[in-house]
Amino acid sequence: MRSVLVEPFTPPFMGRALAELLLLALLAGVVSTFVLIRRLGFVADTMTHTVFPGVVVGFLAGGAGGVFPGALVAAAVTAVLLTLLTRSRRVTDDTALAVLLAAMFGVGVVLVSRRSSYSADLTAFLFGRLLAVTPTQLAQTAAVTGVVLLTLGLLAKELRLRAFDPQTAAAMGYRVWLLDLLLNLSVALVVVAAAQSVGTILVVALLVVPAATGRLLSDRLAVIAAVGVLAVAGAGYAGLVVSYHASVTYGLRLASGGTVVLALVALYLLALLVPLVRRRPSDVVA
Amino acid sequence: MSWLDLALNQAFNRAIVEAVFIGAATGLLGVQVVLRRLSFFTMAMTHATFPGVVIAAVVGVDLYLGGATAGVLAALAVVALSRRRGHDPSTATAVALAAGFALGVVLLSAQRGFTKDLTAYLVGSILTVTTEDLYVAAAVTVIVAVALRAGHKALTYTAFDRAGARAAGYRTTAIDLGLLLLISAVVVTAVPAVGTILTLALVVAPAGAARLWTDRIATMTAVAVSLAVASTIGGLLLSRSWDVAAGAAISLVATGCFAASMLAGPRRGLLGRWLRRRHRGPGGGRARILVP
Amino acid sequence: MAEQASGPATPTALPVGVALRIEHATVAYDGTPALQDVDAQVLPGETVALIGPNGAGKSTLIKAVLGLVPVTAGAITVLGKPPAAARRDVAYVPQADTLDPEFPISVAQVVLMGRYRRTGWLRRPGRADRRIAAEALAQVGLADRAGARFGTLSGGQRQRVLLARAIAQQPRLLLLDEPFNGVDALSQDALLTAIAALKRHGAAVVISTHDLTLAHLACDAACLLNRHMYGFGPVHDVITPALLRATYGSQALELRGDRVVVAHPVANRHA
Repeated sequence: MRSVLVEPFTPPFMGRALAELLLLALLAGVVSTFVLIRRLGFVADTMTHTVFPGVVVGFLAGGAGGVFPGALVAAAVTAVLLTLLTRSRRVTDDTALAVLLAAMFGVGVVLVSRRSSYSADLTAFLFGRLLAVTPTQLAQTAAVTGVVLLTLGLLAKELRLRAFDPQTAAAMGYRVWLLDLLLNLSVALVVVAAAQSVGTILVVALLVVPAATGRLLSDRLAVIAAVGVLAVAGAGYAGLVVSYHASVTYGLRLASGGTVVLALVALYLLALLVPLVRRRPSDVVA
Repeated sequence: MSWLDLALNQAFNRAIVEAVFIGAATGLLGVQVVLRRLSFFTMAMTHATFPGVVIAAVVGVDLYLGGATAGVLAALAVVALSRRRGHDPSTATAVALAAGFALGVVLLSAQRGFTKDLTAYLVGSILTVTTEDLYVAAAVTVIVAVALRAGHKALTYTAFDRAGARAAGYRTTAIDLGLLLLISAVVVTAVPAVGTILTLALVVAPAGAARLWTDRIATMTAVAVSLAVASTIGGLLLSRSWDVAAGAAISLVATGCFAASMLAGPRRGLLGRWLRRRHRGPGGGRARILVP
Repeated sequence: MAEQASGPATPTALPVGVALRIEHATVAYDGTPALQDVDAQVLPGETVALIGPNGAGKSTLIKAVLGLVPVTAGAITVLGKPPAAARRDVAYVPQADTLDPEFPISVAQVVLMGRYRRTGWLRRPGRADRRIAAEALAQVGLADRAGARFGTLSGGQRQRVLLARAIAQQPRLLLLDEPFNGVDALSQDALLTAIAALKRHGAAVVISTHDLTLAHLACDAACLLNRHMYGFGPVHDVITPALLRATYGSQALELRGDRVVVAHPVANRHA
């Protein structure tokens, strides 16, 4: 039994994949909590698609090494654009987001479709190569995790006030647009960090499902974030073990990023069952 | 003209016909999606129908049937999850989207030819549509048109004033569910041709652009359908002359129409606002005066 | 403000003659003037009611006092400063039902938000802040609910929690937006008691409401608004049938003594 659980991580690439996922767990568990309370599900999904053309341009300009800076630039640009779009009341938020998403994604696809290795490239950009994570990528993910966690940790109370009661936040003199921009940048950075390993499209799972799982189990923000971190870490481990054994033992090649996300969704479904098992004391009091 | 040219022309002709049908269906439905803010739900449907298509391909049943089944399940999941504590609709929708798409990716990755199929699903392959696809697209377009015509009053009433509609005897839940099913029908039809994201573009962008030109639903519908059909045909022609992915070209034309409307639209466009502001004269735009 | 716990001491000179001065102010919302030529003032320790129908511009005026909406003509001066510069000493109480009841936050955490501006960016509220927040919560009679999730409270209790948050801010000007809407009698008493305590400490209070009885009960002066100002002065001089009929126009159905029955039109339905 022990060998089943530990053996998959003897090859260095598997160890790196696990390390990458554990870093992403820390990052996504915390960021998704703010995505949840700000209801940024669609914004997060839009980011995952708008970072895509940056990934493509970076790759076309500088090869594999150009992907990270390309994604970073696209992330910064779209975070600013989204902050502006969601501030103006001219178009309803969701229409503007959908159009931006489709336009940016269309640009990415047009750029890729001119290449001869079209479909293989597209798949790599969209779904990442979790098992091909390099030490450089690990360092990049660690740096992004550090910056984002520091920012959100320092601004946690302001971000919570803004999410709960934006009118009063503005009345108190907080620059709501600045808080929004910082959170949007954080979300975009998660997409950048995860783009090469999990892929741009499945990142939305990391940005929504962890905190949604935590929210099913707790009313406290810190607990929600902690559950989110544990959920991604557990799902990352389980997903890698399952895809490794499926491949080695049964000869079944499962996309590892997708398997990790499915494991995360499974944990979410488990959390859905919890209220059926035990009644929450707070509900009884209220 | 050689037989090869003729065949190519026929494929291209089929693509044009498919594009017209899909443009009409998405334009019609898009008005409802934009007015009810269902863009994210539409996005989720394009991704959540994916595992249904994969399973149908593996088992060997009709792909449209597989996609439609997954679409119905995803719609029900979104409605059910939205009611869980602390879950707003966007969280529920994102969970359904991520779960469905991950399932599709994992199932597909176990097959051979993973990357090719996935690409086809994401960006579509309108140039390979069959005559059968055309029949399906035509049927769905007719169904959407008839359903929206028949349900026009009920849909408008519930979108504008839910409680009032219920009091007036409309069954709002049934109406909502019917609309969600129409969306999944259009998504399942359009995705094989133009791909997931680009289906979203065709549903939302023309209707969003039309919203910027008019406040009347009838006019908005007409503008949306015209823009959607124009985008599909324009995108096809562009993709042929520049050799880029057809679905992406269509999507860029559609979103370009939206951007242009945002700049120039008479009611809410930036240009219109600027003109009105000038029109109001100096009093309206005076700088604030604060006496310390 | 002897209890000021942290942060720099309030910079302005303490005895300001007028807490809020509105001089022939015109306020624009989204480019169009929402309220024209308002002329009023509020002294420390005084309570003023903003009275008018829905859409009269009451909320817009409150936003202008907070410096969130531009003054296009005339001037608004808060504690001797432009509105945006005075926010530290101004507390705003929104309507409780505009907040998400599902939000994962406890009552104590909501009240503690009142201390954020005095804590500064990047720092956590300290023990003194927690004590002030706890006292504020006790003042509205909800000390025993500190650990409950905000959304599990009744509407009236939520409104009291938001007032407690404003009290924790130790404001010199308090702005309340329709605080008595849909509030039970017990909570209404608690709100009035807490507001009276703030007044005794020298805070100026502005309450937007369309409850005329409460305006009589709780306020010293009233300001009648409906796109323009229809009257400003002591409650008994301003809340009169003639002025109310002028303010509410066709919406004032019946006037008996100082009581006005005001029709709140239901949204028009053309099906």
